[in-house]
Amino acid sequence: MEHNVYIPKLAKITEIKEEVSGARAIKTFRTVFTNGTRFEYRCGQCAMLSVFGKGEAMISISSSPLVKDYLQFSILKMGRVTSALHELEVGDLIGIRGPYGNGFPIENWKGKNIVFIGGGIGLAPIWSVLQTGLLKKKDYGKLALIYGARTSKDLVFKEECEELKNIMDVFLSIDVAEPEWKEFVGFVPQNVLDKKPSSSTTIAVTCGPPIMIKFVIKALKDLHFADEQIFTTVENKMKCGIGKCGRCNIGPHYVCKDGPVYSWAELKELPQEY
Amino acid sequence: MARIEDLKEEARKLLREGKLKYIIGYAMGSNGWMANPVFIKKPEEVDKLIWDPTCVHNLTRFLVDEKRRKAKEKQPDTRPVGIIVKGCDSRAIVVLLQEKFINRNDVYILGVSCEKAGVVDDHKLVKKLKGKKPKKIELGDKGQFIISTDEGKIEFPVGELLAERCLECKANFPVIYDVLSGEKIKKTLEKPFGSLEKIEALSAEERWNFWKAELDKCIRCYACRSVCPMCYCDECVIDSINMAVTADTSAEEKAQKIKWVQRSPEASENFVYHLVRAIHLGGRCIDCGECERACPLDIPLRFLNKKLEKEAQELFGYEVGFDPAQPSLISCFKDDDPEDFIR
Amino acid sequence: MEKILTKKALPQWVKTLTSYKVYFPKKDQENRWNYLEVGAEDMNLDFLNTTLPPKKLLFPQNEVFLEFFESTDGNQETLEVKEILPGEEPTVIFGVRPCDARAAWLLDKVFSGDFTDPYYWKRRNQTILVGLGCDTPPWENCFCLSVEGSPYSEEGLDILLTDLGNRYLVKSLTENGAKLIQPGKALFQEANPEDQKKAKTIQAESVKKIKRQLKNARGISAKLKGMFDSNIWDEESMSCIRCGICTYLCPSCHCFDINDEVDSTSPLEGKRVRTWDTCQFPDFTMHSSGHNPRPEKASRLRQRLFHKFRYFVENYDKFQCVGCGRCISLCPVGIDIIKVLDKVNEHGT
Repeated sequence: MEHNVYIPKLAKITEIKEEVSGARAIKTFRTVFTNGTRFEYRCGQCAMLSVFGKGEAMISISSSPLVKDYLQFSILKMGRVTSALHELEVGDLIGIRGPYGNGFPIENWKGKNIVFIGGGIGLAPIWSVLQTGLLKKKDYGKLALIYGARTSKDLVFKEECEELKNIMDVFLSIDVAEPEWKEFVGFVPQNVLDKKPSSSTTIAVTCGPPIMIKFVIKALKDLHFADEQIFTTVENKMKCGIGKCGRCNIGPHYVCKDGPVYSWAELKELPQEY
Repeated sequence: MARIEDLKEEARKLLREGKLKYIIGYAMGSNGWMANPVFIKKPEEVDKLIWDPTCVHNLTRFLVDEKRRKAKEKQPDTRPVGIIVKGCDSRAIVVLLQEKFINRNDVYILGVSCEKAGVVDDHKLVKKLKGKKPKKIELGDKGQFIISTDEGKIEFPVGELLAERCLECKANFPVIYDVLSGEKIKKTLEKPFGSLEKIEALSAEERWNFWKAELDKCIRCYACRSVCPMCYCDECVIDSINMAVTADTSAEEKAQKIKWVQRSPEASENFVYHLVRAIHLGGRCIDCGECERACPLDIPLRFLNKKLEKEAQELFGYEVGFDPAQPSLISCFKDDDPEDFIR
Repeated sequence: MEKILTKKALPQWVKTLTSYKVYFPKKDQENRWNYLEVGAEDMNLDFLNTTLPPKKLLFPQNEVFLEFFESTDGNQETLEVKEILPGEEPTVIFGVRPCDARAAWLLDKVFSGDFTDPYYWKRRNQTILVGLGCDTPPWENCFCLSVEGSPYSEEGLDILLTDLGNRYLVKSLTENGAKLIQPGKALFQEANPEDQKKAKTIQAESVKKIKRQLKNARGISAKLKGMFDSNIWDEESMSCIRCGICTYLCPSCHCFDINDEVDSTSPLEGKRVRTWDTCQFPDFTMHSSGHNPRPEKASRLRQRLFHKFRYFVENYDKFQCVGCGRCISLCPVGIDIIKVLDKVNEHGT
């Protein structure tokens, strides 16, 4: 019997890490399916997480598909379902269905350099590509990370980023100066222009607040990146996750099914309504 | 007889002088016999305006849209908006003024009097015409409706085609206006709440069965709420989905918002939706009948609101929508109110 | 294979369909019908068209997806999730207008594809649609011909009936249709060449009677691409009261919402429910953060028309509009999709 796409599978939370506390809290969850299965997925794909009684939310899988032990999600507390997720503890059960979406075309990036540009929680959807790149270092060129947040307390994957500095270029930034902060102060697009990633044989992967993405793309264009070299993931309100409820469409595409990953060449052809 | 020509001159003058942002009125419909709301911005367009028994809509609803539009603009155009109103519609404007939702100088009221007639009811018309298609409806000199069809003109006495609410009309000429066309003929109303008699005569169980059968049909399209000028809340308490969210709304507030009514159109939810809405309109509904007209499944919503209008009058001596200076029913009390717990 | 069934024999045929739940259009008020289970006295097809299209039975206003409940198994708290599929209920809907059946055929495409919607298909596979062709247009605002439909189109139907006066020409279109005729086959006669000729004449005449026309629909679909930023949407949506009637009553609209409805919080017990939704409500696309890609009525009217006449065409090469005219006739403020698209045709390039 074909599996019903709307029924989530139960998964247990095995680890919770508080990345950011306070009003814009972010927690990273690691989950394992209770029946011991797992699903294969591609970098950039998402899953619908269910908190039964509250609803579902579409969250990107931030762990690399090469990591078989768990599925990792980094979740910003924003509304009903994400608040409920933040109340959960290790051992609690949630529902997961997926994977949904189109994933990054990383097979096309063999041998190329990749620069990751993230803002705030936006680092999570592109983290899976970064991790895959590190696990398969031989397949790709140089990897670099340009990442920023409002304050130093809003940065996610802080320890991981510090460790990464040993093996690749990591350029962090915060919006407003703080006494202990030694790195770049300013918005992420400004940091991009400051660090000038080279555009030849480099793919740029960016995600963050819509306004940041807009200016990062502008900065990359100023640095002579072609539209086909710039990739981003788009967000929209979703309910079914499978392109049927009609909610998340941008033009003829459903972000849950035909996206969320788009190159700027593809995205600029769609109606700018997202 | 009220004629639109009387108002067109005034309308043209005000638009030419730039005194009004635009005028909300009625124009010929393209898809049936009913008029359509129209927004006249230029003096040349004033000729589109019509006035006849097909002008069923309560245009006051669009004053709510105008306010929402102004709220979003950084430098709003504060000129008043012109609006063509019948007697019932003008009472809706009075309620909005009482609640200080709009100011008197936000609106320039072009009133038309229904005199001894009113507007035509779709279901009654279809029944009388027996398949003939109505193209135009006019009010004759002898108090009759003249219906033009492909097979010639047919006449009916107004009483046979008037909307139910017109038969119980309390204000057949606008109670507030800047300019008026037509005469202020006072209509004597024998039974102001006559339409309720049949339902009030039912036993409690019969009434329950009646409403259960009707509300089981409801598909919660929210047309009744969308068409009502008085349902202007940005966040409706009986809607589990909408929420007035700003950048400052915290995650906790969103998470803790109570779902008073579920989205499923089950009997229990439909009852709560309609009854709470009726209660929220108690002392505010002026019986324009739009909710019942808009309902695609013909649920007799007027009964709910009419009953509360009757109670407002019988219990509190409150007449809805006549005096802009009068406070709203639920925000005031009088010393001779029936119960004394508030004194 | 075409047969003849007299109108008098129709209730008798229905009587033989004992294993099916049978729906007929029943009159509610003057000129208003809806599909209901009826007694033999109401088993006739003397109707124009129903307010709610057959989509109400194939894709209901609300249905339960799953139930969830917490239970304590010894010391352990477990959470159980139970799938709730529609029950076994073979159904026949009599009197489906070809436009509505065509809409069901369009919905079939939406609910299949990369992912199959099991709830829709459980119902669709056990529902037989018996259509009644339109010798005259049922609504003043019908325009099926303009969107590649016709008063006697066959897509989505299992049986098509043509009214010949006191009898129907019965054309079985699918295996299910042929199966439906079996139990009452004694009531049917073979159609003779005269009957078939009469039916063809009626069908040819019906096409001439459609009054409203949307000219150049395919051309409009192409022109829409350049009209995204036009101010025509603002003008045409001024009178929209965003009530949702156009989309709820549209036979081919399929937007829905999924919500958890909790009956008890401790122990947790509840269900996940799908309900109809509409792109015309302001909150339809609103993100949790408060950002709304379509905050204005203009953008929502534009979305409805673009979806039906452009995006669906890009995805499936068909219009997502069958020309039934409900949205035009039932819009409380008379927004006319044909008029708006005529303007696009005039102004667009």
